[in-house]
Amino acid sequence: MHKEDLMKVYTGTGDRGKTSLFSGERVSKANLQIEVYGEIDELNSIIGALVAALAPEQTDLVDELEHIQSNLFDISAILATTPDSPSMNQLRSFSREEFDALEKTIDARQDKLTELKGFILPGGHMTAAWSHIARTVCRRIERQMVSFLAEYFQGEIPEQYRNAQIYLNRLSDYFFVVARYCNHISGTAEKLWKK
Amino acid sequence: MRQLRPVEANSEIYSTELLDRRWLSKKTIELKLVKPPLFTFNPGQRICLIHKSVERDYSLVSAPADTDLILCIRKVHTGILSSQLSEIALGTRLRFTGPHGYFTFKPSNRPAIFVATGTGLAPFCSMVRSGITDIALLHGVSLAADLYYADFIKPAVKHYIPCLSKPNGSPEDCFNGRVTDYLQKNLPPGKYDFYLCGSRDMIHDVTVLVDERFEGSLIYTEIYY
Repeated sequence: MHKEDLMKVYTGTGDRGKTSLFSGERVSKANLQIEVYGEIDELNSIIGALVAALAPEQTDLVDELEHIQSNLFDISAILATTPDSPSMNQLRSFSREEFDALEKTIDARQDKLTELKGFILPGGHMTAAWSHIARTVCRRIERQMVSFLAEYFQGEIPEQYRNAQIYLNRLSDYFFVVARYCNHISGTAEKLWKK
Repeated sequence: MRQLRPVEANSEIYSTELLDRRWLSKKTIELKLVKPPLFTFNPGQRICLIHKSVERDYSLVSAPADTDLILCIRKVHTGILSSQLSEIALGTRLRFTGPHGYFTFKPSNRPAIFVATGTGLAPFCSMVRSGITDIALLHGVSLAADLYYADFIKPAVKHYIPCLSKPNGSPEDCFNGRVTDYLQKNLPPGKYDFYLCGSRDMIHDVTVLVDERFEGSLIYTEIYY
């Protein structure tokens, strides 16, 4: 991408309801594949809001969240590319090391929290509220991803798509723990569901 | 800008030196730079040139096997770096990062149509110099004087179609009109791999045309802002 002139962000190539995949195909914007990576973009933006709301001294958490943002770009790129296309070879593969690492992070944060005594109301500190929004959007993406993969592959799902799906599953668990952690470090009491 | 750029692995900073400069046309310069020994790239990729804390992306004209790095740059009236690059002394030290981008040739069983406007020809030069020649290459410019690299490209590729948007006593082998006019009038319906590099307007117009007339084709793009 060249930037010698004033850079404009629009090309107008999507005005008729189609968009381009990274692998070159023109597809309808109503395509489930497009919807899934569009919502990953939504999740990534919500994480951006969470990072913006965190106190500057929370550098470990910021680093963690920014790493997740980069991973979501990787997953989006995979979803925007037709499997077995030559363009797939240009992408970083998404390995199970990523969700293994995420599980360890969840466990480490969980260890700092008190035991759960019931369903907690989503909310509390602003950062916790953002994390709960990230959690629910992430769950929605996971459901859509399952539909997309079932529709697209009708059988064996290639490893990196499967890894991406598992990562999204763990990610919503991560945001649940981060929400509780944010309330913990800000001294905000958790409110339980009153039946 | 689309939020779907995959993570690029290489952002190492290299040091280089301006070896030579020549004018290809009234507004276009070619720069020859020292190729650092450890720098490698694929035909079609870009580097990000850095000079006095100004950074700009430029596609490489040279092939990976060539001795030097060659860039083809349109001198833009308001462009800070392009103006400096048209004047700085030979021997000036410059820095760059790269290689960047994914605009590389992907072989397939569909015919490949390369479409460039202006200096958008650069990545295609690198591909042709690297042996990718079984292609149709359209180069859209205003005047015949802007058809730089034609002497090298024309005998190398299967079909070379220079397109002049402001024909004025133009040579007989040039198409009078824009690249989109040529595709509309002369390319039979079918499935192709389109590689588009150049102005946003061209990329928009060709994409609309592909949606209408060449459904099932692939489109790879590199926009020059």
